[in-house]
Amino acid sequence: MTDPLLEEEVGSEEPRQRFVLDETGFDEVPKKYRRFYRKWGGPTDTLAPNEVLCPVCKVVIRSTRELRVGDRVYCMPCMSRLVVAKSASGLLEAIVNYG
Amino acid sequence: MVSNRTKDEPHRLGHDVFLDEVHSFEFWFQAVEGYLSDHPYGCSRTPVVAEPEIAESARDGLITTLCNYCVGETAALEAASSMIAFAPNRRSKIFLATQVVDEARHLEVLLHRLEQLGVADPEAEVDLRANRSLLAFKRRLLELVAARDWESAVFAQNVILETMEFTVFSAHIELADPITAEVLEGIIKDERRHMGFGENDIGRRLMDAPHIRARLATVREELDPLVLDAFEETLDQIGVPRSERPDLGRRYLSSVTRLGFDS
Amino acid sequence: MSDFLSAYSIQNWLESCPQGYLLDTEYGHGIGEKESEAIASNSTLREESIRTTVQLVVGERCALAASSGLVNAAPDYPSKRFLATQTLDEARHVEIFTQRLYDLGVKKSELQSTIDQYANPHLVKFAEVLLEKVDKKDFVAGVVGQNIVLEGLAFSVFEMLHATSAAANPKFAHTLAGTIADERRHVGFGENRIGSLIKEFPEKKPEIERMQKDMTYHMLATFSAAFSGAGAAMNEGRRLAAQAEEAGIPSSEPARWHGANLQTASPEEMEAVLADTVLGEFKTRLSRIGLEYQTPSAP
Repeated sequence: MTDPLLEEEVGSEEPRQRFVLDETGFDEVPKKYRRFYRKWGGPTDTLAPNEVLCPVCKVVIRSTRELRVGDRVYCMPCMSRLVVAKSASGLLEAIVNYG
Repeated sequence: MVSNRTKDEPHRLGHDVFLDEVHSFEFWFQAVEGYLSDHPYGCSRTPVVAEPEIAESARDGLITTLCNYCVGETAALEAASSMIAFAPNRRSKIFLATQVVDEARHLEVLLHRLEQLGVADPEAEVDLRANRSLLAFKRRLLELVAARDWESAVFAQNVILETMEFTVFSAHIELADPITAEVLEGIIKDERRHMGFGENDIGRRLMDAPHIRARLATVREELDPLVLDAFEETLDQIGVPRSERPDLGRRYLSSVTRLGFDS
Repeated sequence: MSDFLSAYSIQNWLESCPQGYLLDTEYGHGIGEKESEAIASNSTLREESIRTTVQLVVGERCALAASSGLVNAAPDYPSKRFLATQTLDEARHVEIFTQRLYDLGVKKSELQSTIDQYANPHLVKFAEVLLEKVDKKDFVAGVVGQNIVLEGLAFSVFEMLHATSAAANPKFAHTLAGTIADERRHVGFGENRIGSLIKEFPEKKPEIERMQKDMTYHMLATFSAAFSGAGAAMNEGRRLAAQAEEAGIPSSEPARWHGANLQTASPEEMEAVLADTVLGEFKTRLSRIGLEYQTPSAP
């Protein structure tokens, strides 16, 4: 699991795309965190490279940088810690990390 | 050095700091402010939505459904409040205190909605229309709480009951009148915290002490038929087509599957 | 009964508390407010502040356990809903006073050992007497113990601490102002709800009065221990205030509470005024709900 506290654009990794996050109208967490989440539009909703769906509560989690396999993200609306992985279909997905 | 763009990015928090943050009163307080301010009894003040015309049979079905939601919310209120006494740490105690007030709010807004639908004595109506399986679930949940069995109580309440409510309420919103839908939307926003707390707490405990899995599997075996019976009856009342039910069933089972229980 | 209880709804609570006096606060005080420099930089004052705050955490932990335990024992839904709001109020108090310990320099890893070190044993006993009733699901005794005795005590202590801190430590005073506003609801519920229940169950009076007597004994013993050890910190605070005045920093108006000048009163005078105020309140409130105040032996 890549801890963003320890890892900052290191080594041979391709530089990551950066994103400026705007408010999306999501209102279930304190103001300062709201832009890091948005409502999911259902199975037809296409996720951006900095987004991943929380499997626990079906909210889209967003980051200011492109997400990659192994990254750690948090879903604040349901308080879950997740790790980004690749699904069978080749898309990014989040898996709950209880440990 | 954290740039302004990434300042406040929650994904940068250490896990302990994250848990301290999300299980605090401050977090709850600022989170609910987003969707409860200017929403007396769960409904927006403006624009005022007129009470929709509902056919008598549909109205009666809705009343029964809401009465059973009240049974579930009362079970959660009574269980969550009593669990504070034996919660394993301060973080969990404070989180449960926020859940207690959430559950009491749900009960209040649902009783208020019953009044709006013309029910003269909503509490008496809840007693009259309560589903037997749901009452049996409540009794069993409160027994687990009285036995101060933390894992079983969290599993029964925050995983099984909350996931069922989350699934049923989500389905109901799609078919409900606008006022009921808005009330349920507010409730669902709270349920995300409750079921997330439950799944993550039990997930951590199963990793640290795998032997509790057998005990929780027994609890599940006992409670599943009760939940599924109540689930089926409610889906009938709110008119969910049979073709959509397998998908809802899968959604309900997804959290126990993630925790490693057979679905 | 239901009309009076409708004032204690979650909706009212939401509008008056999170959406009312707690708006734009963090941990109960103004955003960015800090502990006063005098406390932060003086080891005697800092230790006394930690000692005082530990008693608040112990009291609030007891209140959290009691109010949550009483939800299940409540005989009607409106009471359950009110106690749910009180549960969260108490959890907030635990959180903000715990945060104050961190602000005063207590490390997170040392929180429990700090509480164990400074908690007054009589306050712990006071809590045990109450929680025994709660464990037995005795709603009437539990509410008298919690919402009349414990909350009555907290109400007066918070008011006195607020008067002491208003000028010298606005951050702490603001924290206390929110808790005082919460306590008003709690004592109000206690009196209004229990009055009718005491009439309904008069046979419970002797047992409840015995509980009040035991709790009062431990409360007075707590006051005695707290003030007998507070002299050094009070003198230090006054020395610093005099020093500041000599340096030309204008002094604030003397803080007064129930007739006592808190800037000149001795520890014994402070203890007396606090004990008299709390006991006076107990007597008045208990008689309003049909109970007779029981005087404990002197600790």
